[in-house]
Order: sequence, then C-alpha cells, then structure tokens
Amino acid sequence: MNTILLIVIPLLAAFIALVAKKGAPYLLLGAGLFNIVLLFFLDTGFTFIGGFDQAMTSDLLGIALYLDTYAKIALWLVNTLIVVIALLNFKAYKQYGSVLLLSMAGLNGLLLTNDLFNFFVFLEIASIAAYLITVSNRKFTDTFHYIVMGILGGSLFLFGVTILYAMTGSLNMIVIASELETNGQYQDVILPFIFIFIGLGVEVKLLPFNSWVKGVLASSNTFSGPMIASVYAAAMSFAMGRLLTNLLVFEGALLTVVMTLLIIGVVAGDLMAFSTSKTREILLFSSIAQASLIALLFVQGIVIWAVYLIIVNALSKLVMFLVINKATHAIGSDEIKRMKGLFVNNKFVGLMFTLATLSIMGLPLFAGFVIKLNFLTSLASLGQTMVLIIILGASLVESIYFVRLLVRLWYPGEETLDMKYSNPFKFVFAAVALILLVLGTYTTPLYELDDNIDQVSEEVIHG
Amino acid sequence: MIQYAGIALFVFGIYGLFVNRNVIKIIVSINVMEIGLNIFIISIGYVTGSSLAPIVSSTEDLGLVYVDPLPQALVLTAIVIGVGTTAIALVVAKMIHSQYHTFDLDEIEESV
Repeated sequence: MNTILLIVIPLLAAFIALVAKKGAPYLLLGAGLFNIVLLFFLDTGFTFIGGFDQAMTSDLLGIALYLDTYAKIALWLVNTLIVVIALLNFKAYKQYGSVLLLSMAGLNGLLLTNDLFNFFVFLEIASIAAYLITVSNRKFTDTFHYIVMGILGGSLFLFGVTILYAMTGSLNMIVIASELETNGQYQDVILPFIFIFIGLGVEVKLLPFNSWVKGVLASSNTFSGPMIASVYAAAMSFAMGRLLTNLLVFEGALLTVVMTLLIIGVVAGDLMAFSTSKTREILLFSSIAQASLIALLFVQGIVIWAVYLIIVNALSKLVMFLVINKATHAIGSDEIKRMKGLFVNNKFVGLMFTLATLSIMGLPLFAGFVIKLNFLTSLASLGQTMVLIIILGASLVESIYFVRLLVRLWYPGEETLDMKYSNPFKFVFAAVALILLVLGTYTTPLYELDDNIDQVSEEVIHG
Repeated sequence: MIQYAGIALFVFGIYGLFVNRNVIKIIVSINVMEIGLNIFIISIGYVTGSSLAPIVSSTEDLGLVYVDPLPQALVLTAIVIGVGTTAIALVVAKMIHSQYHTFDLDEIEESV
C-alpha cells in the first residue's frame, strides 16, 4: 500500500463522478472510507512520487510525501469529517459529490506533502473546491471576495516559496529547514517567511487577512458551514502548524509582531462574537479567535495541545454549525431573538449543543478543559505570563457570550419554535458529545502523545 | 533585471485588486498579479551568460553552466492553476451579473 493512494483515489473518483453523476455520493463515501481504513495499514516515512530510486539522497530529490503521526491524526480527522458531512447532506447537496472528492484529494495532499511548491498546488486545489462549496450559499459576491482573497494569499505564499528556493536551491521542507539552520542568515528569510505566513493566514482565518470569513460563514448552510468552519479550518491549521513548527521560525522583532497579531486575533475574535446578535456570527467570530489561538500555540512550540485543540474545535464547530444552520434554514433568520426557545422542543439536540459549547468554553469534565489547562500550563512554564493573562481574559468573554447564547436558546420566547432534527443529525451530535465527554474524563490517551508527533524536525536533525 | 519587472507587475496587480470595484477589472488585476509572479519565478532560474538547454548528454557536459529548468516547470504548473482559478472567478462573476444585472460591487452593495 502506498501513501499516494490517499490522494489518487479521491482524485480519480472526482473525475469519474463528473461522468457518473448519480454515483457521485457513493464514490465519495467509498473513497472516504477507503482512506480512513488505508491509514491503519500505512507505514510512516517518505514516499517519493514517481518512484525515483535515487531520491533518498541528502537533497531529497523529487516530490516527497511524508507520513508521520501528526499527518495521520490530521488525515483521519479530515477524511472522517468529510464523510460525515457528505452523509448528512446526502440528498440536499448531492450534486457536490465531485467537489467534495476534489477537496478530499487537495486537503490530503496538503497534509502529506513535504515539497513547498506541491503544497501550493494542493492548497490551490483545496481552495478551488472550497470556492465551489461556498457557491451553495447563493451569496455570489461573498464567494467572489473569498476567491480574490484566496488567490492573493496563494500568490503571496508562492512568492515566499520562490524566494526560499532561490536562496536554498530546494523546495523540500526538510532540506530548506536544515539549509537555513546551517547556512542561513535570519535577516534574509524574514521576507519569504512573512509572505508564507500571510498566504496561509488567509486560509487559516487569521486577523487581519480574514475579511472573507464573515461573508462566507454568515450565510452558510448545513453543508458549507461545517465544511469551511470545521474541515477546512482543521486541515489548514494542521498545514500551518507543520510549517510553523519546522520552517517558519520567528525570532526577535518578527516574533513580537506575529505574537501581537495572533493575540489581537484572539481578543478581537472574542469581542466581535460578544458584540453580535446573530448566532452564525457568534460561531464564526469564535472560529477566528480559536484559529489565532491555535497558531499562537504552534508559534510557541506547544504542538500536541494545539493538535488536540484543532480536533476538539473541529468536532464542536461541526455540531454547532449543523444545529444553528438547520435552525436558520427552518426559521429564516439567524438572529438570537428569533431563535429563542429553539431547544424547548429539541431537548436532546439542545443537550448535545450545550455539551459541545461547554467543551469549547473549557469547562471541567470536557476535553476542552484538559486541553486549555495544559496549554495554559505550558505557556506559564515558557514564561509567557502576559499572553496567558490575555488568553484567560478572552476565555472569560468567550464564556459570557456562549452562556448568553445557551440561555436564549433554552428559554422560550414569544413564539414556540417547532422544528425537528433528523436521526442521522442526532446520531452525529451524540457521537461528538460522547467523544468530548470521554476525552474530558478519561484523559490517559491525551498524554500518550507529546510534541514529537511532528517528526519532520527529527528528520532535519538526523539528516 | 527582469525580476524587477515581475515584482512591479505583481505590485500593480495588487494595487488593481484594492482600487477596482468592477468584478471583471478585479479578475484582470488578478491575472496581472499572476503574470508578474510567473515572470519572477522564471527570472530566478536564469543564469547570466548561459543559453544552454538543461540536458546533460554525458558526464563531460557537467562543467557547463545551465539554466535551472525547475522554475520553468513550476511556472507551467502555476499558469495552469491560474487559468483554473480565473475560470472559477469568471463563472462566479457571471452568477453575480445574473443576480444583480451589474458587475459593479458598489452598485450591488447599494441594491442590497
């Protein structure tokens, strides 16, 4: 079994799905399940595209895919979420089968590749699929804004990669990292690092490069909302984490600027969520704050807790966007006052939504609590007291707006909302809530992995 | 020298993105930006004083100075990706026009 199958199978299925449109949802399901099972049998290490037998030299010639524990976790999460979202929207958005297959191929490639130009190619493939997914919102000006920002971000990323290639003579992340470590002058790499960071920042939703997010997610549905806020957010955070951990080493004034931007992202995201009166905007601004927090942890080298935060965030946001977007579709508005009493007749869904929200807030008994406690402890041990205080303050604001949202959704308003969630939706909500509860109470598996799950740096050290 | 032309085009393209409010003009600006980027990529592979194709026929040729072929391969891929994204942007532009009967983003904002 070859790692490349994780990309090739969905890509092939995407082309077949264009011809056999009725079979597209089944192809998607098949490709997704194949990838999830295949991951159990794949060995970690390098795969060289094209089978170039002299590739494993010190220069790592050719395009290399790299599978380690970090990539495996990311791939499992992304492929599972795509399959779940596809199953839940089987009827409503079945014409998007080939688009989802394309996004699966692009995101898998993005998480696997070790070649920076190849990274750009997969970034663009995944982005093209994302643009098409947002077309389902029927808000074309917002989609256009997303396209423009995405192309600008991709171009800046490529600009940075080109400069790095001119400096080091390689596109391989490991070769570049070791080359910069031995021969590089830090001042020379500041410009490409900034370009790459901005380029990825657009997709990861970091302030101030995320102007597209509000338009796209504030008009999302049960398909586009979870895909962009959960799957893409997780995949892009994993991809950015890989680069931040191994390549983009920020030092001195640049580190100060990046940390300031990320802290502003956390605080501004939570403050904007606090000040809005629309449910979807609360979720999207919360996503922006979480994305900045994850990037901040990667910059500080707290890899494992950033990874867990990505997973918990993706699962929680999946539930929250599904619940809210389905309700918005039925009610015709996402104003909180129009959604008052949503859970009065949907107690089970309300309970699951509450559990997901409490986990994001970081309350005890939930996975979010363990993660928050550990990354705050790590920040304290790194001497980042100010950052810690600011994050605690932002968490307080986050708790206030989420509790306010929960109270409004649980207590009845003037009208009684009578809408139903189908059983597949309820099953997914229950499964996610169960995972969050189990990981919050039985924490041993969380401590089995450490910051070394990303093994690229090991490869750099051992040549 | 040619890389400065590439950077200049790239900057003009970005300027166009922020100044224009017409959807088609924004797409043209994107293309200008991408052309600038492609020229920049090609320029880094060029070796001054070398006009040789990067084909090694024997070990004796290894002493010669060749133009780096990799940026040319990268640019080919970048052009294909650029065409793909431009096509999607044009499709969305058509959808915008069908919905609002204009390409002007200011007019669309006023009508909304």
